[in-house]
Amino acid sequence: MLDRRDFIKAQAVAAAAAAGGVSLPAMAQTSMIAGEDAQLKWSKAPCRFCGTGCGVMVATKDNRVVATHGDMQAEVNRGLNCVKGYFLSKIMYGQDRLTQPLLRMKDGKYHKDGEFLPVTWDQAFDEMARQWKRVLKDKGPDAVGMFGSGQWTIWEGYAASKLMRAGFRTNNLDPNARHCMASAAVAFIRTFGMDEPMGCYDDFEHADAFVLWGSNMAEMHPILWTRISDRRLAHNHVKIAVLSTFEHRSFELADIPMIFEPGTDLAILNFIANHIIKTGRVNREFVEKHCSFRLGQKDIGYGLRPENVLEVRAANAKDPTDSKPMSFDEFATFVSDYTVDKVAELSKVPKERLLALAELYADPKTKVMSLWTMGFNQHVRGVWVNHMVYNIHLLTGKISEPGNSPFSLTGQPSACGTAREVGTFAHRLPADMQVNNPVHRSHVEEGWKIPKGLLPGKIGYHAVLMDRMLKDGKLNAFWIMVNNNLQAAPNTNTETYPGYRNPDNFIVVSDAYPTVTASAADLILPAAMWVEKEGAYGNAERRTHFWHQLVTAPGEARSDLWQLMEFSKRFTTDEVWPKEILDTNPEFRGKTLFDVLYRNGNVDRFPLSEIDPEYENRESKAFGFYVQKGLFEEYASFGRGHGHDLAPFDRYHQERGLRWPVVDGKETRWRYREGYDPFVKEGEGVKFYGNPDGKANVFAFPYEPPAESPDKDFDLWLVTGRVLEHWHSGSMTMRVPELYKAMPMAMVFMHPDDAKDRGLRRGSEVKVVSRRGEIHTRVETRGRNRPPRGVVFVPWFDSARLINKVTLDATDPISKQTDFKKCAVKIVAA
Amino acid sequence: MPRHLLIALAAALPCLVPALLSAQNSGPARLDSPFRPPVNFTDETTAPPIPADVTDDRRVARNYPEQPPVIPHNVRDYQITLNNNQCLTCHSRQYTGASQAPMISITHYVNRDGQTLGAVSPRRYFCMQCHVPQTVAQPIVTNTFKDVDSMISRPSDGGDRR
Amino acid sequence: MRWTIPEYLLRPWRTIAGPSRYLSLGFLTLGGFAAGVMFWGGFNTVLEATNTEKFCTGCHEMRDNVYEELKTTIHFTNRSGVRATCPDCHVPHNWTNKIARKMQASKEVWGKIFGTIDTRDKFVAMRRELAEHEWARLKANNSLECRNCHSAESMDITKQGARASRIHQQFLFTGQRTCIDCHKGIAHRLPDMNGVPPGWSEAANETDEPVRSWLAERPTGVANPHASP
Repeated sequence: MLDRRDFIKAQAVAAAAAAGGVSLPAMAQTSMIAGEDAQLKWSKAPCRFCGTGCGVMVATKDNRVVATHGDMQAEVNRGLNCVKGYFLSKIMYGQDRLTQPLLRMKDGKYHKDGEFLPVTWDQAFDEMARQWKRVLKDKGPDAVGMFGSGQWTIWEGYAASKLMRAGFRTNNLDPNARHCMASAAVAFIRTFGMDEPMGCYDDFEHADAFVLWGSNMAEMHPILWTRISDRRLAHNHVKIAVLSTFEHRSFELADIPMIFEPGTDLAILNFIANHIIKTGRVNREFVEKHCSFRLGQKDIGYGLRPENVLEVRAANAKDPTDSKPMSFDEFATFVSDYTVDKVAELSKVPKERLLALAELYADPKTKVMSLWTMGFNQHVRGVWVNHMVYNIHLLTGKISEPGNSPFSLTGQPSACGTAREVGTFAHRLPADMQVNNPVHRSHVEEGWKIPKGLLPGKIGYHAVLMDRMLKDGKLNAFWIMVNNNLQAAPNTNTETYPGYRNPDNFIVVSDAYPTVTASAADLILPAAMWVEKEGAYGNAERRTHFWHQLVTAPGEARSDLWQLMEFSKRFTTDEVWPKEILDTNPEFRGKTLFDVLYRNGNVDRFPLSEIDPEYENRESKAFGFYVQKGLFEEYASFGRGHGHDLAPFDRYHQERGLRWPVVDGKETRWRYREGYDPFVKEGEGVKFYGNPDGKANVFAFPYEPPAESPDKDFDLWLVTGRVLEHWHSGSMTMRVPELYKAMPMAMVFMHPDDAKDRGLRRGSEVKVVSRRGEIHTRVETRGRNRPPRGVVFVPWFDSARLINKVTLDATDPISKQTDFKKCAVKIVAA
Repeated sequence: MPRHLLIALAAALPCLVPALLSAQNSGPARLDSPFRPPVNFTDETTAPPIPADVTDDRRVARNYPEQPPVIPHNVRDYQITLNNNQCLTCHSRQYTGASQAPMISITHYVNRDGQTLGAVSPRRYFCMQCHVPQTVAQPIVTNTFKDVDSMISRPSDGGDRR
Repeated sequence: MRWTIPEYLLRPWRTIAGPSRYLSLGFLTLGGFAAGVMFWGGFNTVLEATNTEKFCTGCHEMRDNVYEELKTTIHFTNRSGVRATCPDCHVPHNWTNKIARKMQASKEVWGKIFGTIDTRDKFVAMRRELAEHEWARLKANNSLECRNCHSAESMDITKQGARASRIHQQFLFTGQRTCIDCHKGIAHRLPDMNGVPPGWSEAANETDEPVRSWLAERPTGVANPHASP
């Protein structure tokens, strides 16, 4: 019998358990659990969330994940996780996991306006193939497309690239990484001829100064922030500068905090270049040996629809990428306009702080690491602003050595590994090759063992253009995998949603949970996630990290890899390849796409017996060979020998990831510098070998204003972004009770005086209104984000308050990445 | 019913209502993102009030030993900056006697290289990267995670045989 | 060289210093009284005018730094909307102390005129010193300005959090500590707190005398907070 005290205790436990989502056994555990019963199987995996790429240890018991913690042996995080990482155990167990394919049906068959009904995989793929074939026949390959993700595993992205480019013969394949770091990737290639950072996370322990350019690492990359706070708090000389358009948690550690007027980071960077030149701190020798100077095209428009007045008015909207050579002296003259007085006035940053910041770069004794994410990349001049930060590192020679490091952070776990390295962009092929380069295409055709001339050379639709083409009825069969684009894309009410519901279009969404994107689809395919499949991710420091399948996906849910490969069986070459190609290559006739793409002698090269017997591998068992290994080894063959080298497949299952290029079994920490990078020969010192002349490009660009600025009707800047507790549009994190309860809704963060002027206060219900749409939310005046007057911040994780109905679909004209950080809104009482 | 429970329920209601409505309105075939009220994508509905913080100071059991405990008290205006860490003024070893707050775990004294330090490791300085406060909002989607104890529960084999 | 007072200064002085030749005693008495009233009234008006938040935040040094920081705190925005203005916490309510504080404040005006803290960086650099002045003052007067609103006698500890209730009973009600010992940074951002232990710590017992105080001598008549029961 329970006495009163026990009863209260039991009640408290039950309440706490219900609140936390912990299910209790029928009988409470009172005795110690010991021996065999308490044994857990621990395996390594990378975290499912951000581009940091923390290692975690995952405990399983009876085919379920029961615990996770930071991996002590993982270099990246050495035992730490952020709050999201610590709750990884729960992300697969949201009660509403999708467990069977769902098709919109009326009277027993597919109907665009039908209700979602469960179907078998066969029914799902039959209908899907029927739609694909209809579209291919009526309109050709340009009318089919796929929107993938930086959350795809490496082999999923690779298999998708093969299916779209070689199978359906279209480059209409783009990842949601386009919204995330396209500007960074494009600037890397334009500056160094090769993508991804030259430095690595080891720079954190070597730098004397850290500059955050539009990145709130304290919330978005918490584990890298622990490495910065470790360095700063243990070394008094270390300085941290934080630049943003509003005050956020990273300012807590800032020695030089700076709030600037949106868009003026361009001017600040040119001022720093000017300061370095004017004070005679240019590293002349480095610049002469290793840099070329180029004058970039200006007045390039804003990536809006071509008929938009801003595009018509821009002088070079059609040709934004052009540049011509210039001399160092011409560059010096170009930036000489950007004086401290002028830039202080434009940016509203006090002069003394601008000078303090410039000195971090100019002082030859200070090793400086620049870090950036969405503030730079989601910018109508994102490529320019990326170039400009390389400019100041190159002028001072502070690059490619421990502690001196311009470092582009990434948002998604495999933005680098899958979206960029594998090449799932509309213009890219594996290992930095480009679809519009015939030599590259031919090289890939050989590697894939497909007929010469099969790969299309036309660059496909990028993310925002895909939405426009869906709306305009030019893209009609569309497959969305591992992303929630209806929540993530800009201007969704006007530009995204109409395309999904366009009666000409058939929209397929593969996901683990019913997202808003899935709800707007015609066919939903249930996906296996994270450790329900064998996978590989590549993080922001070029680290490739593998994991095994640890548990089985629920119900009929299957991995994206299985879905892609299984779907390919429904097409024969005769249906999708041109007659001329088959006439000259008759051996390919009558084969399925599965045969020509995945049973090509490469992908099916490794037998099931090579799979670690400790672990299940569903896809391989389904297809009869070690698919992941075959895909990886074929993919890796493109990068080996010229600076993209990956280690042999099996090695990655042993390591906590390795940073490419991996040469002679050794990873590379700093690229382009002798002694660290095996591709730089003795005596060369520094060599930017991605470019034929071995030099990096310094580009001159002016300050240009954003696409839309506040005016008398829409008087506030809107900045959107994320919060610590939620990632990937909240599709997983909102289903973890602790994370949900910590941050259950997206509020509009605003200055108390801006609220007061509108008769509002904390908690007031308001509408955030732009020229494009509006949402209802509540005012927050004293939360973690503190915008200055004139700026409001709304996070986008909350599907009940879709802030992307309000944002503008202006993109960087070069990278095609949307600017989610700058548009004009008004706030009115709801 | 105790007053604070009533308040909690009232505060949670607006969050629960859309979920309930969605469950009622949709036939078996309809599928909605559970977090969205049952309205068309292009429509918007009113926003629920900002839920109150949980400040009952009652510890919540962890899902597994390595999980960082959530914060059961108010943290409004807590300053964790270069200048000061207000959490540590109660939770660091030397102040727990007076404050009676739980001491931060010993893992927090270990640096990146595995060495134990005399004070909290600087890499653990920003508490709220891992420890988050909770609001009274009730989860819309329940989570079916099972902790290890419920996985290995089994009938007793008879117990003490002295 | 010998200093000589010029004639144009001497003449008015003689007029004031000499006895009245033309005005009646009554007029002088009443007029003097009236002038006194006007002066006093004017003085008090100025005193009151300078005792408002509007005056305090008239300078950008106050408006952009301390006042901006106050806006998000519980002393500015809270359930009942009862809020503290600058003088509520920073100017004593009784006359003598108020005048003394006002005289100190002339130093702040001096600072304004000569740009001692005319940038955020200068303010941040001075933050510890400025905070220490206020801690010392509040420590010396037993947190008088806190207690103008927060009376220990009127606290209902059953409405407080368990931890707050216990600490108040142990430290506040026994007079072992005064409000400011534990509630530093309640309305503004804290300076570098290196060497400043929390009020409830053992170490706080030893910091009897505030560090680097320019108000070091404790005014007589104010109870030593550590001595009172």
